[in-house]
Amino acid sequence: MEFNVVIGLEMHVEMNTKSKMFSSAPVSYVAPSNTCLSLLDMSFPGTLPSVNKQAIVNAIRLSHALHMEISDILTFERKNYFYSDLPKGYQITQAFNPIGKNGYLTLNSGKIIRVERLHIEEDTCRQFHIGNESYLDFNRAGIPLFEIVTLPDITSGSEAKEVLETIRSMVTFLGISEGKAELGNLRCDVNVSLSEKGSNKLGHKVEIKNLNSLANIQKAVDYEISRQSNLIKEGKSIKQETRRYDEAHKRTVKLREKVDAVDYKFFTDPNIPPIKLSKEFIKDAIDSSLELASEKKVRYKALGLNDYDSSLLVNSKDITDYFDEGLKTGCSVKLLANWINVDVQAILNKENISIKEFNISSIELGNLVLLVEQDKLSNKQAREILLEAHSSDKKIEKVLQERNFSLVNDEAKLLDIISELLDSNPQIVTDYKEGKDHVIGYLVGQVNKVTNGNANPKIVHKLIIQEIKRR
Amino acid sequence: MDYKRMTLLDLHKAITDKEVAPFDLVKYAIELAKQDKNNAFEYICEKEAFEKVKTLDENKKDNLLYGVPVVIKDNYSTKDIPTTASSKILEGYVPIFDAEVVSRLENEGAILIGKTTMDELAMGGSGTNGHLGAAYNPWDKSHKHMIGGSSSGSAAAVSAGIVPISIGSDTGDSVRKPASYAGLVGFKPTWGRISRYGLLPFACSLDHVAYFTRNVFDSAYLLNVLAGRDNKDMSSSFNKVEDYTSRLDDSLKGKRIAVIKEINASISDKVVLNAFNKTVEYLTSQGAIVDYVSIDSKILKSIYPTYIIISSAEATSNYANLDGVKFGNMIDGDSYADLVIKTRTEGISEYAKRRLVIGSFSLLKDNREELFVRAQKCRRVIVNSISKVLEQYDVIYNPASPSIAPFIKSTKNKIADEYLIADNYMAYANMGGFPSITFPIGFEKNMPFGANLSAKPFDEALLLNIANQIEKFTGLANIIAGDDDGI
Repeated sequence: MEFNVVIGLEMHVEMNTKSKMFSSAPVSYVAPSNTCLSLLDMSFPGTLPSVNKQAIVNAIRLSHALHMEISDILTFERKNYFYSDLPKGYQITQAFNPIGKNGYLTLNSGKIIRVERLHIEEDTCRQFHIGNESYLDFNRAGIPLFEIVTLPDITSGSEAKEVLETIRSMVTFLGISEGKAELGNLRCDVNVSLSEKGSNKLGHKVEIKNLNSLANIQKAVDYEISRQSNLIKEGKSIKQETRRYDEAHKRTVKLREKVDAVDYKFFTDPNIPPIKLSKEFIKDAIDSSLELASEKKVRYKALGLNDYDSSLLVNSKDITDYFDEGLKTGCSVKLLANWINVDVQAILNKENISIKEFNISSIELGNLVLLVEQDKLSNKQAREILLEAHSSDKKIEKVLQERNFSLVNDEAKLLDIISELLDSNPQIVTDYKEGKDHVIGYLVGQVNKVTNGNANPKIVHKLIIQEIKRR
Repeated sequence: MDYKRMTLLDLHKAITDKEVAPFDLVKYAIELAKQDKNNAFEYICEKEAFEKVKTLDENKKDNLLYGVPVVIKDNYSTKDIPTTASSKILEGYVPIFDAEVVSRLENEGAILIGKTTMDELAMGGSGTNGHLGAAYNPWDKSHKHMIGGSSSGSAAAVSAGIVPISIGSDTGDSVRKPASYAGLVGFKPTWGRISRYGLLPFACSLDHVAYFTRNVFDSAYLLNVLAGRDNKDMSSSFNKVEDYTSRLDDSLKGKRIAVIKEINASISDKVVLNAFNKTVEYLTSQGAIVDYVSIDSKILKSIYPTYIIISSAEATSNYANLDGVKFGNMIDGDSYADLVIKTRTEGISEYAKRRLVIGSFSLLKDNREELFVRAQKCRRVIVNSISKVLEQYDVIYNPASPSIAPFIKSTKNKIADEYLIADNYMAYANMGGFPSITFPIGFEKNMPFGANLSAKPFDEALLLNIANQIEKFTGLANIIAGDDDGI
């Protein structure tokens, strides 16, 4: 029995605006509970919303990145329901005129996933329970959110994960969200339904709520696909219900059967007059937006990087920012990419820190790369300096001064060393003349050994050839 | 000195001439407030008022409101002063911020001496639905006639001479109707002209800051103080604030006035109609053009149901924050749902609940088109038909109510034209945001009644001009109910 799998995602992405969607309270994901809130966030009677312009600019940029039609009239609606995490008794959202409609995103495979809508809304309180008491953190109440809804074009857990990764990449590169799933910046509900291949009857939709990590989305979806297909194979029916992902047991668990959907009694918030977005405003927002990962990649390739190196860099917005900054030193694009992708990445991985926590600035790194390019330092020396500067938390310049690192460029001195080595290994000359080129490498290694790696490799190479040929 | 009848100009002169000190004025007003027999007060700010008057900024002494005692309806947020909107559910709530209107009054040097009773959560028009019971009409010592609502206490306080001006709020006719019953000027400027920040929202698209005075000049002056953009209220207008007192004495000559025929036709009280007609004769005699125009009575009759659906729908959402958790009177429960049910069951009266249920019902998916959306369409039709008249005329003029204040215990035939049209038409001005003013034009059985003028949005100066001219003719400025004691 084969199945058609139909998956749709509903994502919530918290923005990183300075203030909240409708109040002037600051947005922070790390501040102590209930320190970032305003009268409005607590719904004190008589307070009124003011729309955050930056949030609209952000939404225009993301809508554009998703190739959406951008609405020129914005209204905000009230979604009315009682819940302990909802102070006003309604959430302000965009039900009738979402800012973005009918877009798409492209997976690495080239597959198109259609994006139905993107709208702006406000987050609710964070609620947590200690013992049998419930606590509310109003810091989260009113933080601007994007809600992004795809059409059911996704057919596997890995595709679902990639859609979310693509959205995360977009929002982080556009600088409009921290995009950290672990902080709850990215949350996702998934609808999965299966039908027998060839049958045009769609299966009941099962919703998996509140998936908050990329890995879990893939696992949850894959689990759900196998659960549903097993049920169908056993001849059982699939109920329309809401489930959650149980991380510990790696399975989905039923939360509730979907009876009638909640009636949210939507109506347009009379306190927020309709907002007309002019063509210029939309254009300015788009023109002034930051480069997407895909755009950066194109640029890096044009600068001469290969696909592999540029792909590695654009995995992280912060890394590309670091890279772009380092390029200002005028150092080699390829070398710098290599240093970041290999040496810097190794340190970050080993210490499990982010590039933002890395204590060597990109300018310092760029200058170090320049020294290598100019043959003033060997790769080995540069690596040592980088590591020392990092571990001692000193500036690279300082380490260079202290260590008095410099390459031995003195040809006479180097020639002495080479001559001595050749004298004691006459076989090398014979081997070379018989066409065994690899002996050169061996000899370079020997010179490095003697000079502690400080010899200028280009000069050494030149002198070795010259001396062997002379003999 | 006859404090109880004094205008803002009189009071200002008395203060400037050092005939009376602001402190004594405030003290006297508070004494009067304490003697109030009309259940006008939720809270008398005695201590707070004395503190404020002692620290009055002398630099503000040129403002007409400097040192003037005022009261405000209990649905405005007042810092450190209890605010209940006359609802049990808000008992114990002491806000930590002032409404914009309160700040502006204070900035001018006015002294808040009390919060006034109202129909619970501003829902109702009788002044009988507050948690402290009915407010009474000062014109009727037997307490049989209503004062009207929902701004009942604010109307009673000015009408009794306790303060010269008071702030109310007007969502259907909640200032303009009690003004008619209390012999006062009741004024609601254009929607967006005055910031609603800090006004407890009942139905935001219809809610207006509105107020009572005893003459048109004071209304115009108060608008100078209260009008203007406030960034805390996105719906507040950027339109320039005029000096609204400057055109009060303009001639009536050439002014175009429309009287909606069907409204007058639905009124049976001859005394009201005669008094109204006399003002029309005067207007004509002064060179104004008064025409009787027609609006389909079906449209007029739809005003009230349309108002009820829209205002109740918005209210059900606006008052959803009243769960007792963040402020107000919480009754604990086993779960959040249980707590909300208990708190709201206990805290909100039957009358208000009825409106909230109507609102919720009309927004439900199954009823939305038939009720809420249809009401919105009706609203558009109503506003269009009024706007069409206002394209041809400067103002629309009709009696503000079909009679003097009804008895509290009277029951009205709610499907009669008089109720559906004459008693409830003034909400058209809320639906279109039109500036609208009520003022007294006569008496019947020693009880006052008024007429109402409405104009195009932001045409307040012209509206006040015409109202002022009619007031000159009737001579019914600065009237108060009951005895005056002098100061």
